[in-house]
Amino acid sequence: MTLAGWDILRVAMQIEDIVQIQERFRSELGAVTDLARLDQVRRDYLGKNSGLKAALKDLRGVPEESRAQFAKLLNDTKASLEAELDAVKLRLDELSRRTQIEAEWVDLSMPGIAPRRGGRHPVTEVEYLCLGVLRQLGFKLEAGPEIETEFYNFDALNIPAHHPARDMQDTFFVDGGLLLRSHTTPVQARTLEQRPPLPIKIASAGRVYRNEAVDATHMPMFHQLEGFWLDTDLTFAHLKGILRFVVQGLYGDERRFRFKPKYYPYTEPSIGMDIECATCHGTGCSACHGAGWVTIIGAGMIHRNVLQTFGYDPDEVSGIAFGWGTTRMASQWIGLGRIKSLYEQDLRLLRAIHGGDQ
Amino acid sequence: MRISLNHLRRYCPALPASPVEVRNLMDDVGLEVKRMEDDGDDPAVVLEFLANRGDHRCYAGIAREIAARLEGPLLLPPVLTLTAGESPVPLRIETDLCLLYTATLIEAGPAGGTLPDEVLHPLIAAEMQSVSPWVDATNIANLELGQPTHVFDADAIVGGITVRLSRQGERAWPLFQPEPITLDEGILVIADDEKILGIAGVIGCEDSKATAGSRRLLLEAAAFDPVAVRKGARRLRLSTDASARFERGGDSSLPLVGAGRVAHLLETWAGAHHRGVGVAGDWRDPERTIALRPDRVSAYFHRPFSATEIAERLAGYGFTTTGGPEELTVRVPPGRLWDVQNREDLYEELARNAGYDELPLALPAVAMGVQESPWERTKKRVEEVILGLGFHEVMTNGFYSRQLAENLGIAEGHPLWEHVETANALDRSFSLLKNNGLAQAVEAAADNLRFGVDEIRMYEWTRTFHRNPAAANGVNDEREILWLIATGPSRDPSWADKPRAVDVWYLKGIVEDLATELRVPFEVTHPDPEAPLYSVLHPYRQGTILLDGRRVGIFGELDPAVARAFGIKKARPYYFEIEAVALRHEPAPVAFSLPPLRPPSVRMLAFTLGNRVEAGEVAGCLQRNGPDWLRKVSIVDLFEHEENGEPVRTVTFALEYRNDLSEHSIEEMNAVSEGLVRAVEGELGGRVRLR
Repeated sequence: MTLAGWDILRVAMQIEDIVQIQERFRSELGAVTDLARLDQVRRDYLGKNSGLKAALKDLRGVPEESRAQFAKLLNDTKASLEAELDAVKLRLDELSRRTQIEAEWVDLSMPGIAPRRGGRHPVTEVEYLCLGVLRQLGFKLEAGPEIETEFYNFDALNIPAHHPARDMQDTFFVDGGLLLRSHTTPVQARTLEQRPPLPIKIASAGRVYRNEAVDATHMPMFHQLEGFWLDTDLTFAHLKGILRFVVQGLYGDERRFRFKPKYYPYTEPSIGMDIECATCHGTGCSACHGAGWVTIIGAGMIHRNVLQTFGYDPDEVSGIAFGWGTTRMASQWIGLGRIKSLYEQDLRLLRAIHGGDQ
Repeated sequence: MRISLNHLRRYCPALPASPVEVRNLMDDVGLEVKRMEDDGDDPAVVLEFLANRGDHRCYAGIAREIAARLEGPLLLPPVLTLTAGESPVPLRIETDLCLLYTATLIEAGPAGGTLPDEVLHPLIAAEMQSVSPWVDATNIANLELGQPTHVFDADAIVGGITVRLSRQGERAWPLFQPEPITLDEGILVIADDEKILGIAGVIGCEDSKATAGSRRLLLEAAAFDPVAVRKGARRLRLSTDASARFERGGDSSLPLVGAGRVAHLLETWAGAHHRGVGVAGDWRDPERTIALRPDRVSAYFHRPFSATEIAERLAGYGFTTTGGPEELTVRVPPGRLWDVQNREDLYEELARNAGYDELPLALPAVAMGVQESPWERTKKRVEEVILGLGFHEVMTNGFYSRQLAENLGIAEGHPLWEHVETANALDRSFSLLKNNGLAQAVEAAADNLRFGVDEIRMYEWTRTFHRNPAAANGVNDEREILWLIATGPSRDPSWADKPRAVDVWYLKGIVEDLATELRVPFEVTHPDPEAPLYSVLHPYRQGTILLDGRRVGIFGELDPAVARAFGIKKARPYYFEIEAVALRHEPAPVAFSLPPLRPPSVRMLAFTLGNRVEAGEVAGCLQRNGPDWLRKVSIVDLFEHEENGEPVRTVTFALEYRNDLSEHSIEEMNAVSEGLVRAVEGELGGRVRLR
């Protein structure tokens, strides 16, 4: 079958229409400045009422010989328009994003507004750190009363009445002949009295009281932490090893330390442990009274009299005890010479310690 | 004690030249250096002595300690050998608290004399006053050898000397006191036939003191029971160089040596002569011995110690040893009887001699560490809640002043009236053991307000002390509590918005937060007039925290009168307190229902509530009368306004209906809501009306 003249004319006209559609489309697309207008153009040229859609519907009317060619032309045109629309949409999207972002500038110099977190007291922070180190060695935390008897605070710890060592711990006495514990060591006495199975590894921490005149570095109440370990065959070398472990856990491997003789009535031999002064690194300064060292731990092998008080045979059982002032440690840590400030509930200081505003 | 290093070098020639080296050495051998003082050509060191080492309190003791470490010689000053003979005065000891008493008569030379600066050197270094040759000589001998001595004016002594206990009402006039004092009964004293000459081991008396003009002197050198001296010093509230030495135990070999040194000084430099020495008492060196096994010593220090090495090291301190390589018998020198009593004491001597730092260290086998206890974990979880709300931890004393307690406006009979009291506090601020946390919390808030800090959120874990004769110690119970105090904005104010001020609902929210975090069923109820803190809080603006029906805490606004008593004028502090034991409560099992598949249907109902009708009553009524698919009733809004000139509150409730399968129509829900309105009106009468 051959194309009639009328058919040829119709196809030609339709091709010309399509060309015109494309020209109009490009003209309108070039004028688009927003997404809404772009949608309108898309609907006008690719929507169900568009010329292109109508041409596709009329495809059956195109003579069979040229239908495929004509259909290809229509599809190519449609694809071309879609591509051009997409490209413009991409450009407009980017423009829109840029416009939005430009409009959303914020002043980052304004302070943050998330609720500010509070903070633990420096002594508690130190206590938690210390207990964390001691837990690695198996020490469990035990508590004891703050109002104590003379027996647990002194007598059971080899500090009999009128012993000069009682001067080291001027004591607050309270009603009923009781006293405010002058150290956390009564927890040791109370634990040993219970005779738990060996090994015993206990840490205790908390408030202790000394009846002293208050000044910048002396408080009637402060905080201590101590540990003791009772077992068979514990030795002086073990005592030193444990102290090194504790100090390195708290201050790191690089900090120099030294041991020196001390006297505590409830340990024999007794040890003092110094660390290098953090301020002068050992050369001597006012913070360390020129020594280059700061004493942080008092320790020793538990005195045989203490063991015997609770029925232990010192030839069979030995013990290690050590302790330190967490108040003093906290003040050293944060570089606060006036430890009294730690107990003045001054929120300006506490916030500053935690990096907040004063 | 201030020590001249130049003078010390006379005793211990091996002393290092460098003061820094001396300091390190002293620290290393147990002589605590308080400070070094660069005194020109005469550098000095100020020492603090270990409480058990009476023997350290003199040049000889310090030198012995250092010489033993350095294996150097110990050179002692010359002394006159005194031999006991006929006593210049009758001596009598009436109590075994005097161990040994010697009396030496010294007569001044015709021309008198003074001690030269070279001899006075230790006295000058110690920054002690020069008094007279007689007194200076005794002080020098004590500084040099550690034997306190005392000179009486022999012409002031009536009859003989008796060492005895003081009698009831007896009077004495200790040196440097403005007037005579009445002694307690039972103090160890030195007396003549008429009066007390001195408090034994502590101080002499004015009416027998030697002066520069004294011509006949009676020199006392003695040894006393340490506790007796300590009691005397404590009762007189006196601490002297002599008492500090005697309290740590004397040396049976030293009294005549000390007297001999004084006599030597006075004869050599002051032209004096001693005329007779009397001795009373039979205290002798008990020759204590301690067995020591080298193998055990080696095991103790994780390094070999031979019998020879042990003997050599101990010899430097005056210990003598006998026995073979398997076991040594160590004899304790008389000056160390009081502090060397057992094997471990000798271990310390060896460690000190070897150097603590030089001995090996080892870590005992540790199977594994331990976890935090449940309470430690709980405490940290509680803290996380509080810290997240911006609270800072503080630490207050265990005691406070009576004035602070009185600020609470309590009277006798009030549950907070009774306190455990301190008996000997140096400061009245420490007179009462606290029986509540509130007083110090409010004081802390007031202090901060005075500094211009008006955003206050503080907390503390503390203990309170409560009288209870039935308690295990017969006096008190201790309770651990957690308190919080807050005033000002409930969170940090910002440029973005103005946070709500802390109020009673804020504290209630903390209770609810804690209950959620710990899964402990705390319940907040109305104020409980029986609560000890009830009267110090605003009667309406407080709540009681219950757990299993028991009151475990309280919270609320501080009563305005109490706030004023603490000097707080404008701020409204809010206080919260809960027993720690309640926080330790076993957590409830995790219980929940799966969220609905579809968003719930929500209906809002607003009621205007009459005077003192609680929103909770309305919410309870709604929940109680609603169908089982009424999932939740929430209070979502409060509008406070006036009607007919009366303040009223309109509260909006959100009714959340579960309707997963669309089984309930809108009409059905509306009908239920209408029924609930009628139920509220029916139950609460005219006090509530729908708005």
